[in-house]
Amino acid sequence: MSDTSANANDNKEAMTAAGPDTDEQAPDSRELLPTATGARTRAAVRELVRPRRGLALGSFAVMVAATGVGLLVQPLLGRIVDVVAEGRPPGDVTTPVVLLVLVALAQGGTTALGLTLVSRLGETLLAQLRERFVEKALRLPLEQVEKAGAGDLTARVTRDVSVVAEAVRNALPELARSLLAIVLTLGAMAALDWRFLLAALLAVPVQAHTARWYVRHAVPLYARQRIATGTQQQQLLDSISGAGTVRAFRLEEQHTEHVTRRSSAAVELTLRGVKLVLGFYNRLHVGEFIGLAAVLVTGFLLVRADSVSIGTATAAALYFHSLFAPINAALVLLDDAQSATAALARLVGVADQPDPEPEEAANPHKRREPGTAADGTVTVTGIDHAYEPGRPVLHEVDLTLRAGERVALVGPSGAGKTTLAKLIAGVHAPTSGSIHLTGAGTYGDGLPVALVTQETHVFAGSLAEDLRLARADAGDEELRAALATVEALDWVETLPEGLDTVVGEGGHRLTPAQVQQLALARLVLADPPVAVLDEATAEAGSTGARLLERAADRAVEGRTALVVAHRLTQAAAADRIVVMDGGRIVESGTHDELCAAGGTYASLWEAWSGTRGTVDQPPTQQHRPDTTTTMKDH
Amino acid sequence: MGPSNPSGRDVLRDAVRGQRRFVALGSLLGSGHQIGEALVPVLIGIVIDQAVTDSDAGALFLWLAILAVVYVGLALSFRIGAWSGERASVQAEHALRITLVRRVLDPGGGAEEGRLPGALANIATEDAKRVGVVNLALMFGISALMGLLTCAVVLLRTSVLLGLVVLLGTPILLWLGHLLSKPLESRSEAEQERAAHASAVAADLVAGLRILKGIGGESTAIARYRTTSRDSLKATLRAARAQAFQNGMVLALTGCLIAVVALVGGRLAAQGSISLGQLVSAVGLALFLLGPLETLAWVNAEFAQGRASAARIAEVLATPQAVSSGGRSLPQQVRGAVRLSGLSHGGLREMDLDIAPGELLGVVATDPAHAADLLRCLSRQTDPEAGTVELDGVPLRDLDPAELRTSLLVAEHDADLFEGTVRENVTAAVISGADSVSVDTEEAMAAAGVAQVAQTLPDGEDTKVSERGRSLSGGQRQRVALARALAADRPVLVVHDPTTAVDAVTEARIAAGLREIRKGRTTVLVTTSPALLAVTDRVVLLDDGRITDTAPHTELVRRHEAYRAAVLS
Repeated sequence: MSDTSANANDNKEAMTAAGPDTDEQAPDSRELLPTATGARTRAAVRELVRPRRGLALGSFAVMVAATGVGLLVQPLLGRIVDVVAEGRPPGDVTTPVVLLVLVALAQGGTTALGLTLVSRLGETLLAQLRERFVEKALRLPLEQVEKAGAGDLTARVTRDVSVVAEAVRNALPELARSLLAIVLTLGAMAALDWRFLLAALLAVPVQAHTARWYVRHAVPLYARQRIATGTQQQQLLDSISGAGTVRAFRLEEQHTEHVTRRSSAAVELTLRGVKLVLGFYNRLHVGEFIGLAAVLVTGFLLVRADSVSIGTATAAALYFHSLFAPINAALVLLDDAQSATAALARLVGVADQPDPEPEEAANPHKRREPGTAADGTVTVTGIDHAYEPGRPVLHEVDLTLRAGERVALVGPSGAGKTTLAKLIAGVHAPTSGSIHLTGAGTYGDGLPVALVTQETHVFAGSLAEDLRLARADAGDEELRAALATVEALDWVETLPEGLDTVVGEGGHRLTPAQVQQLALARLVLADPPVAVLDEATAEAGSTGARLLERAADRAVEGRTALVVAHRLTQAAAADRIVVMDGGRIVESGTHDELCAAGGTYASLWEAWSGTRGTVDQPPTQQHRPDTTTTMKDH
Repeated sequence: MGPSNPSGRDVLRDAVRGQRRFVALGSLLGSGHQIGEALVPVLIGIVIDQAVTDSDAGALFLWLAILAVVYVGLALSFRIGAWSGERASVQAEHALRITLVRRVLDPGGGAEEGRLPGALANIATEDAKRVGVVNLALMFGISALMGLLTCAVVLLRTSVLLGLVVLLGTPILLWLGHLLSKPLESRSEAEQERAAHASAVAADLVAGLRILKGIGGESTAIARYRTTSRDSLKATLRAARAQAFQNGMVLALTGCLIAVVALVGGRLAAQGSISLGQLVSAVGLALFLLGPLETLAWVNAEFAQGRASAARIAEVLATPQAVSSGGRSLPQQVRGAVRLSGLSHGGLREMDLDIAPGELLGVVATDPAHAADLLRCLSRQTDPEAGTVELDGVPLRDLDPAELRTSLLVAEHDADLFEGTVRENVTAAVISGADSVSVDTEEAMAAAGVAQVAQTLPDGEDTKVSERGRSLSGGQRQRVALARALAADRPVLVVHDPTTAVDAVTEARIAAGLREIRKGRTTVLVTTSPALLAVTDRVVLLDDGRITDTAPHTELVRRHEAYRAAVLS
């Protein structure tokens, strides 16, 4: 079952690639993350190797020695043949045999050492590269990641990293050994007699042509094969995890047919790949025969001309016979090497991104006014925003979130609520207008604005580690306090190992509501002056939503909060309600004021409470700081 | 495929039996290839012996021609033989995958209980592949045995002593190598698993990137990843050292074997017992022999993995169905009368409820777990612990679950969308050609507010939905799912919390549309949303698993405290 972990990653990738877009936005044009050029990739590898030049040279030298020692085997066998051919006594065989044993031991020892050094070099470089990659990836501006589609980054961190790792672990040492063996063997044949080398090289045109032919066909075919396999995997996940839905709607036959079609497509491409590889071997067999025949003929001619002994001719033939394996290996690995290079270019593309200012990375568009009061007032002035030119989603929005005020954002889908929330959270820069945050500077280097959305993810590891992502130095008591704030401490303490329970991929499964409670607990720990909650309670079903709303209320207590709310009861409990429609703010005020005003909100509330004209009391709230009525934001 | 409760052995046997013709052809030609490969070193020896030693040009061309023929033969046999084997393996894999999917999707259900979707998908891909590969392994195994046999015959005919040295020496060598590397191998496997951890952590962090950035946790995550990566590196290096040591050892042992063969062969040749060419052949064959022996070791490992995978597949196939098919069937025209009598299941206690045909009923449960229990019973994902649910007077447990679902649809809150366009998703469950169709797709989409969703999507209704609907926002997804349920147009429709992620304006519109489109057909809304409950004929309040009140929504709001708390707070 060792493959399951790798596969779980694939699944994960499939499930998280292209996360939810918002109601307001569905970007069409993808702007993929950068990929390094060939020259830049090579330069990046050189930069990584430079501090370890000694190790690199050392491992190369040891590998050359190991291969070189191995090449003594054939001449020693040749000497035994000569002993026989020259009719010397059987005892003369002993010396070359003892030498053969010594060669074997030396070859084994140097190979073990050489491979150890090669893998140390490769693995250390790989670790450094992936660390740099992850660091840069996590610091990428969210806007850039969203433009590229979350799938792009996920694919790089899963598939590309594993392709490069696989190459470093297996293909690279194997390729290095094979190439060394080929070069040195050819050299050894030349040392026996240069004409043997010429004979052996007769096979090269066939092999070179075969290799070119193979790579030309294999690369596009394998790319298609990967896509087909991915599609099949996606379909399986679709049908299996949606099995309940499939049965409820009687879609069993339809889905079986989908799976059959996708699987057949993958099977067909696999078989085409097999055919290609077999054709490849067939051509290599031709090369082998040509070379072997040429070497044998050369041996025949040279022995007849008395230029070499029978033993030397035998050694040459054995040399060539021993070339089959490394040549085949090297040619087969060409394909791996090619895909590893492409993957490496994608990794370097991200790892090479310039270091953004840490503060700006988190919140690129916030202008802080240092020295002002520590209140966390957000002032939005005249912002317009369009994801695509010509399709504006916000028009001249003015809004002030006073320190400690809880403002609910209400409106139909497509009104621009999520866009406004994202702009305030600093995910995007507004097309025009400005957003100011007062006083956040006095919170030190902490995060000025936190954003919690309906997107759910539990970071794999213990629950405590998950929470500490928000504040690394938080003690267990602080974690407990944060959990208590969002009313999650009770269930956390009933978990098998409490805070140390492993959650996330492969760990203890949490309900969607529990996952969101954790997200809110992280918000409490991050302790920002301003919090933006975008439908953070939507995924939990209506009864769960109520629990989460209460948790959310407590999590934002004492902070300036903007809450995008679908359930009007949640909005009704806010200090102020801002109603948006068509990218504009159309109403603003307390629940009572808006109900009395008889506008959009009032009719919404009537529809919601289903008690037209009878109930206009919002639910009782324990926490309602005094707020003055205002429409000035409109 | 085989018995209905297959064991791992059955699965494996059927996988091979289904492909026996390809396996047989592959084995035959594969054997031809191995024999050819064994003959190459023999022919090199003969060329040295007959042509080079005696300087005989005629013999040289004769034996080179024979070498050419052998090459053509071995190349062709390999090409066709390996193709047969590969084909057998992927076809068996494909067949197993389809069988597994059929079992998982079976109306009786049960196969996915206690298994994660990812794990099941893994069984349908990785395990199916491993069982399929057994066909290829079988073919290569038989071929390798034939190659070994050829070697044995040639060597023993040359010299019994030399033959025995090679034939006994090679397996001993492999066995020694295996023995020496075994402790290394198990250690290395454990360490490779730890090494893989770094990639998993990186993928996990990237998957949660938006959440991480939302709380400013990047620096902590980067520091944590660095630690993981360094730990991983250490484990990898240990594993790599073990691997390198093992490689070195195999090389040294192989070299020693060749030295022994050279010693025995050289002395025999010097004494004149065997010819020079036979010595060369023996050395060549000793080297060749490693190939088939390694193949056999690989075959053995594949068989072991194949057996384990077949057992996992068999376990899924043999899972009992959650509900069985009864013998009765529904009347031709389903009126849609649903009756619950004395229903107890999970948290539900002795529920009695009559839902009249055509009624629009609301069900409010104060505990969501109770709502879930009720839905499971209605959709017959399970049979109730006590009491009955009847549709038009027929107890559900007497019905085929598939037939039931053709008449009664339970649309769950977390219903998945599937790959395809928005429109394809909505029309997926429309029974074409059924004479009872009265709802058309356009109406369903309008009622569920999908038209409004389509406006904001790049290609409108033809926008592709991916990742089980995750490419849409929660509210969009819910509306498309609701439209699908409405378009399916079943005589009885049970909808669970269809609008939790939909804004209040749209929700009110959907409530009205839903009432209109389901007019005259039984509909149950299991929800606590007041906007939806406001359009129902009457509402049943389920408190603590019991029905505590039944009345229209406005009346319950007015007079029932618990109801107000459940719906309006």
